[in-house]
Amino acid sequence: MRKTSYMLLVAMMAVTLLLSACGGSGNNGNGNQTGAADGEGTASEQKVKLSLLSWNNETEMKPVIDGFTKKYPNITIDFQTAPPVKDYIAKLQTMLLSNSATDVFIMAAENRNELIDGGYALDLTDQPFMSQMTDASKGMFTRDGKTYAFSQAGWVGGIYYNKDLFAKVGVTEEPKTWQEFIDLCLKLKEAGIVPLYDNAGDISTIQGALVASMTLSNDPEYDAKLFTGEKTFADGWSEPLKLWKEGLVDNGIIDSGMIGLTGDQIVNEFAVGNVAMIQGGPWNIPAIEKANPELQFSMMAVPGVEPGQEFYAGAPNVGFAVNSKSKNQDAALKFVEYLSTPEGLELFEKGTGQIITVAGYESKVHPALEKAYKEGLLAGKFYLPMVSWPRHQEALRNQMVVSVQDLLVGKGSPEDVTKALDQKLKEMESK
Amino acid sequence: MKLLRGLQYQLFLLPILFFYTIFTIYPLIKSFFFSLTNFNGYSKEYDFVGLANYLKIFKDTAIMSGISYTLLFAISTTVLTTLLAIVLALVLDRNFYTRNIHRAIFFFPSIPSGLILAYVWGFILSPIASGVLNSVLHDLFGMGPQPWLSEPFLAKLSTILVAVWAGAGWHAVLYLAFLQGISKDYYEAAAIDGATRFQQIRSITLPLLAPAMTISVMLLLTGGLKVFEIPFALTKGGPGFETHTITQVIVLRGISEVQFGLASAMSIVFFLIVLALTYFQVTVMQRREEKML
Repeated sequence: MRKTSYMLLVAMMAVTLLLSACGGSGNNGNGNQTGAADGEGTASEQKVKLSLLSWNNETEMKPVIDGFTKKYPNITIDFQTAPPVKDYIAKLQTMLLSNSATDVFIMAAENRNELIDGGYALDLTDQPFMSQMTDASKGMFTRDGKTYAFSQAGWVGGIYYNKDLFAKVGVTEEPKTWQEFIDLCLKLKEAGIVPLYDNAGDISTIQGALVASMTLSNDPEYDAKLFTGEKTFADGWSEPLKLWKEGLVDNGIIDSGMIGLTGDQIVNEFAVGNVAMIQGGPWNIPAIEKANPELQFSMMAVPGVEPGQEFYAGAPNVGFAVNSKSKNQDAALKFVEYLSTPEGLELFEKGTGQIITVAGYESKVHPALEKAYKEGLLAGKFYLPMVSWPRHQEALRNQMVVSVQDLLVGKGSPEDVTKALDQKLKEMESK
Repeated sequence: MKLLRGLQYQLFLLPILFFYTIFTIYPLIKSFFFSLTNFNGYSKEYDFVGLANYLKIFKDTAIMSGISYTLLFAISTTVLTTLLAIVLALVLDRNFYTRNIHRAIFFFPSIPSGLILAYVWGFILSPIASGVLNSVLHDLFGMGPQPWLSEPFLAKLSTILVAVWAGAGWHAVLYLAFLQGISKDYYEAAAIDGATRFQQIRSITLPLLAPAMTISVMLLLTGGLKVFEIPFALTKGGPGFETHTITQVIVLRGISEVQFGLASAMSIVFFLIVLALTYFQVTVMQRREEKML
């Protein structure tokens, strides 16, 4: 009996070894693949099956895919999707490591560094269609002067407010300074209306906007300096976090209850009129209008300390990148180019509801977003730490969420938050 | 000849062994290999760093908090679920008119995914005044809103109670199956000797349920240690790191923070903890089974 068990163990080891060997040879195969791609690339009239991985789902991407295949009948699209953010990133990561990634995939703020560093994305800098992309959008996908993805859209976020609830306490104008904003919150609270739900499950839009108006306005290079070690989180985030805590937490406008709320619950509470203000972006509008089509609401910026220092949250949309090891690079580039044509832009806007930021194309935005679109997105008055930080976005974002939650339950101070962030950054840089 | 006969039977194990090797043994060995490197999950170039990742684990506040919450979760769900499941099984074993419907109702929570259950519970336990539980408490007792999911102690309590609620019915059915295997003769003999219902349960039912308890407790303990869905869907691990499970920290460090080597080292340590605990539990409880019989 014992002997046979031994044999089974040996068999097991043999299979394991065989598997390791397979993994190895897969890697070596790479070089040949790219060589073949160059040879095949020129035959454009051949039947091509182009694979595409996106985090927009099939319904959202259908108009633009249909438009593309109508224009290029020889190309069929094998469409794959995974929901944002973690699922998509994990799926693409697995595909890339096993050499089975799609010809076109999307590059997000959360994985751009790994994709660029790993050499997985083709350099698109000299492609003619890249001239359409605004400089504000290019920044996120550019490294050492080379741009690796095409982004045709963007989003802007801020504070949604319920006009009727404002009117109840006699307010008809948006607050222009931080103090006016706090006074307004206290007024609402006194009238028995929940003034505001911030977001404790992610980096708060309000905190981000305060950092933009208090730190970045004075030192536009702050985030770059943060990562060279010239500046610390304590330098740039302490004051905004203190202002946020003194204004919102110490006044009892928001409390630790925020932590247990999901995004869906917050949006729902706003739509039915249980809370006067929430932070949000364009993606919330369908849910708000579905829950309460009658709601009178609009989006305002996060006010700064002085008038005129207000800021929005916002970022370029994810970019479309071409797999550097793809056999169908020609077709892949045609697809990205198609996205930049007026027809492609219109179909993309129709399907996804994204706000197009390409020069010379005016998006039809929801009336509630009109001001944010013109004064925020187009004027470049928006900031999102995740996009501005060159590295370790996810690690810092997680640390920030955890530390701010500790702050909300009274387990720490704003100094503890910045200390934890500085420590995390140091740890990530040294690994 | 004897050897040949042994081999004959073991041949039947080969197919399952093949898949077990591919899907469990191979990844485990590969994880151990990665745990000795600084692999980031993307780049195919990485260096050996020896045991550095293992040393880092014990200085990591997130993983230490993950281990303590996971142990608390696993042990308290095991104890509470076992207590509830046995009582429930005894009740469901009795003859009453709606017995089958009741069995179905208690079994139901183990059918849908934990994520969906927790999502629904998220609305019930919502910390705002319009949360289901908070509005019920307000209407009945005039209580103000309670932060069910956002205060460290209440958040831990809520996640544990939801998990117990979701698991008790399934384990009750497991005990029920064993209950029905107990011969009626014992009870009749005890009744003739004048034993009360309580004495019967203590001296006949519980000892004969010992094998079921070994299985049920092992499933609860390993399930509790590997838990991810319910706490994640309810609290996302908050407030702070308070309800982060070990599995969530592994995903956090490995995927979000691209420290694949460190996360692999955590998985290996986690594997050893689960292995040691279940080995200990099974040996102790099997000895107890023998003693009781």
